[in-house]
Amino acid sequence: MDVKYLNPIIAATDSVFQTMLSVKPEKGEVSIQEDLVTDKEANVIIGMTGDIKGSIVYSFSKEMALKVVEAMSGMEMEELDKFVTSAMGELGNIISGKATTGLAEQDLSCDIAPPQIVTGKNINISSEADKVLMVKFNTDLGEFDVGFSIN
Amino acid sequence: MIWREEYKIGVELVDEQHQELFKRLGDFIQTVRSDQENSEKKKEVERTLNFMGEYVVTHFDAEEALQKRFNYPDFEEHHQIHEDFKAEVAEFQEKYSADEYDDDFLLEFSGRLLTWLINHVASTDQDIGEHINSVKEKEEELK
Ligand SMILES: [Fe+2]
Repeated sequence: MDVKYLNPIIAATDSVFQTMLSVKPEKGEVSIQEDLVTDKEANVIIGMTGDIKGSIVYSFSKEMALKVVEAMSGMEMEELDKFVTSAMGELGNIISGKATTGLAEQDLSCDIAPPQIVTGKNINISSEADKVLMVKFNTDLGEFDVGFSIN
Repeated sequence: MIWREEYKIGVELVDEQHQELFKRLGDFIQTVRSDQENSEKKKEVERTLNFMGEYVVTHFDAEEALQKRFNYPDFEEHHQIHEDFKAEVAEFQEKYSADEYDDDFLLEFSGRLLTWLINHVASTDQDIGEHINSVKEKEEELK
């Protein structure tokens, strides 16, 4: 498993947060995990097919998801309702779409599936992958993780 | 909805229309998230959705006319994005009016629209502004 696959996802995350929210995400540690376990409550899963088969998982704390949607809508959000999760799902979709453009530059042709949303505490997102690349981000709006599991 | 200076593409007409579109989508979302009595709410949702949908067409037409006038190289691709979006809104309008969608679906639809429109304006449309302004600059030089 090569960390270089993670770079287009990191670059796409960075660019989407900056253009849409004027927020600069600070990249934290990168780790390799056995399973995709997260303590964050709002998870967006984007399936990937093509030269890379697997999924990208964006895990936001509840607070961060609410703040992101507030920063876009200008309205107060109190719960992880369908409006909030759908808006965050589309954000994951946009970042992943950009990431596939970056992967194409490494001669990898990939397609993405519509976002799936999983909410709740201490989630174990099962996948066929035996390793998951994880990168942590810190922003003015809170913390989030991006996981990339390749089957 | 929150408008940011960075969303501007540097073409006055388009920037004004984008702000109006943000306002109308904001009104729609506000209605979707309000807790009015059901039949009242449905009427308001339909009204604000139509109001936004009309402007989507007005704005896309104007933006595409500008793209054509300045020979925007990605016209076809951009046109298709607009067509897909209009079709999605139209389908939703139709099915929502026919009571085929529930409240959850209404929330999902409007949440996705929020993020989609911001990205379209803040990212996808930026290339139009760049193109138009560079053509204008060249024209100025030739004068
Ligand atoms: Fe556009």
